[in-house]
Amino acid sequence: MDWTFVSNLILASVRMATPLIFLALAELYSQRAGLVHIGLEGLASIGSLVGFLVCLITGDPFLGVLAGAVVGIAVNMIYAFATIHLCAEQIVYGMAINIFAPALAAFIYRVYFGAGSELVQVKLMSTVAIPGLKDIPFIGPLLFDQTPMVYLAYALVIFTAIYFNKTKSGLNYKAVGEHPKAAATLGIPVIGIKYLASVICGALAGIGGAYLTTCYSTTYVDGNVAGRGFIALAAVIFGRWSAGGVVLACLFFGFCDALQIRLQVGSSGIPYQFFQMIPYVATVVVLALIGAKKAGPKAVGKPYRKEER
Amino acid sequence: MKKILALLLVLTMIFGLVACASTDTTSQNTDTADTAETTGDSTAETTGDETADDTTDEAAPTGDFKVAMICDSSISDGGWGMSCYNAMVDAAAEHGWTTEVSDSIDQSAYYDSIIAYCQLGFDLIYAPGNQYTDAVLQAAEEYPDVCFALLNGGEDTPGQAVNGNVTSLLPDATQVGWIAGALAGLMTETGTIAFIGGMELDTTKGKYEGYKEAAAYVGEQNGKTVTTLDCVYTNSFSASDKGIEFANAMMDNGADVFFGDASAVDSGARQAIDERNATNGSVTIYDIAQPSDLLGQNECIIGSQVTDNASLVGLCMTAVEDGTFGGEVIYGTMQNGALSAGAVSDLVPAEKQDLYQQYIQQMIDGTFMQ
Repeated sequence: MDWTFVSNLILASVRMATPLIFLALAELYSQRAGLVHIGLEGLASIGSLVGFLVCLITGDPFLGVLAGAVVGIAVNMIYAFATIHLCAEQIVYGMAINIFAPALAAFIYRVYFGAGSELVQVKLMSTVAIPGLKDIPFIGPLLFDQTPMVYLAYALVIFTAIYFNKTKSGLNYKAVGEHPKAAATLGIPVIGIKYLASVICGALAGIGGAYLTTCYSTTYVDGNVAGRGFIALAAVIFGRWSAGGVVLACLFFGFCDALQIRLQVGSSGIPYQFFQMIPYVATVVVLALIGAKKAGPKAVGKPYRKEER
Repeated sequence: MKKILALLLVLTMIFGLVACASTDTTSQNTDTADTAETTGDSTAETTGDETADDTTDEAAPTGDFKVAMICDSSISDGGWGMSCYNAMVDAAAEHGWTTEVSDSIDQSAYYDSIIAYCQLGFDLIYAPGNQYTDAVLQAAEEYPDVCFALLNGGEDTPGQAVNGNVTSLLPDATQVGWIAGALAGLMTETGTIAFIGGMELDTTKGKYEGYKEAAAYVGEQNGKTVTTLDCVYTNSFSASDKGIEFANAMMDNGADVFFGDASAVDSGARQAIDERNATNGSVTIYDIAQPSDLLGQNECIIGSQVTDNASLVGLCMTAVEDGTFGGEVIYGTMQNGALSAGAVSDLVPAEKQDLYQQYIQQMIDGTFMQ
């Protein structure tokens, strides 16, 4: 094993972890307000398509990302209205989003491009090196010569950690997910915060999807989110509902996937299935090591009825 | 409020169903006139020229016959799905058939998608891939009046269909690999070449083996030792991101010519190759496409292996029209013209292009690697 292998492995891990970080933060903001959201996969799917279309039409990947965020919010308002206003079951509506949004994406794609079969490609977002930091030996080129979306992901993690732990507003936000009735007695606008959480969740999930088609792959293919929404859900649990934990979990998942790919290529004679097991085996092992202690918001998944005793 | 919401959802569903209910009638004209050898119960040899002539006379779309394709990759993938879909559309235009397609479907939906088309009265179900075999055989048993064409189906698959309504279209996977491997053997500078597979299918393994042996042979003939990295599998035909990552890893291992059998994954690999070439400042890492001529789609593509699936599907349509469909294996080979090499890029030096054409001719003559 040489340094080139290691540096390329880290680079691939960062590349593969970035969309997961956006999605996991989306889930974190949702769950911290008491809304368990299993519909990230669907939100990312529609964000991926709209990001791709806007990038294709305008030629601007940044507008694509913005459009991904907007459509993520719009679709998530269905979930928000049903679960917050109508107190519907969150798991069921999350699953409904997972079925509805990818189908809507496929439908829009087919309406826009017809039954044509030409490969459509967009120009991806360029990387922006950070002067000074990119010259740090070894990690500089790996971490500080990336697309602005990667830096945004880092920044969001830091912001989220500070917001939830060091600000009054963040503590109020967390209180909604822990004990909404108590929070309401203190004058915290529980319903408003839940809607705010849905807006943030929709935007981040849409950005996570748009990242795939504006920063990662030049093409859009149905199913390109490829289970990342569910991995992000696991990453939040894995990361114990903290921003730092979540980013480590995402990097861990990205690293395991990147590792299995590189070992598959570098090996000879070993069945490829052995390497494809690595992410799953690693997940089981780490889960066993960190234990199953519940650390999530106490009121997550429970509908909040204002007048209920 | 809930009732109103429920009503709105129902109306949306109805609107969606109505909006999606349009049919796609092909109107393109094509000139597929290649040949394909037919063996099986009839052990007959049919030429595509005859087929084209026969059907051109009757080319006015009648709308009497309908063909549906199911595909687990996208028909816009710039590779397998796209080529197979175009083949169906071209053949349908030639025969005046109506077409429908369901693409990007999950494995769990293979059977349901096929059944849906059977119930809608489609005459021919076109399933381009070995992975659909079980679903096709099950549906073929339940719908004896529907015909099923399985591209890359097994040689024994038609025999397993109890109603005799399944035909395998079988391009020679080894020859597919040879066509790409010969070009790879000529063009590699590092002596290391790579292959990316989608799923571990027999046809994919056949292509890999053909690619590997042809590259080694051609390399040796030209004073090079050519090594093919072990075949990798993405377990998906739509994960273009995996194509990017695998291609990057393989380039880091010295691979400078790529071939693949993984649909949109191949598109991802080409993206990574183009990016690496751009970083290096010149095109020194190449890709060979399949199964249609994709020269020009990406800068790194230096050639293509071309399978004339349209003529193979056209033969099935003729058999359906004649009431003689089923129980056959229709082979596609270089000898009968169903397999060929596409145009070669200017990145391939003239002397190597000449050598490549000589190898292709040897493959057609049956003297390659003899």
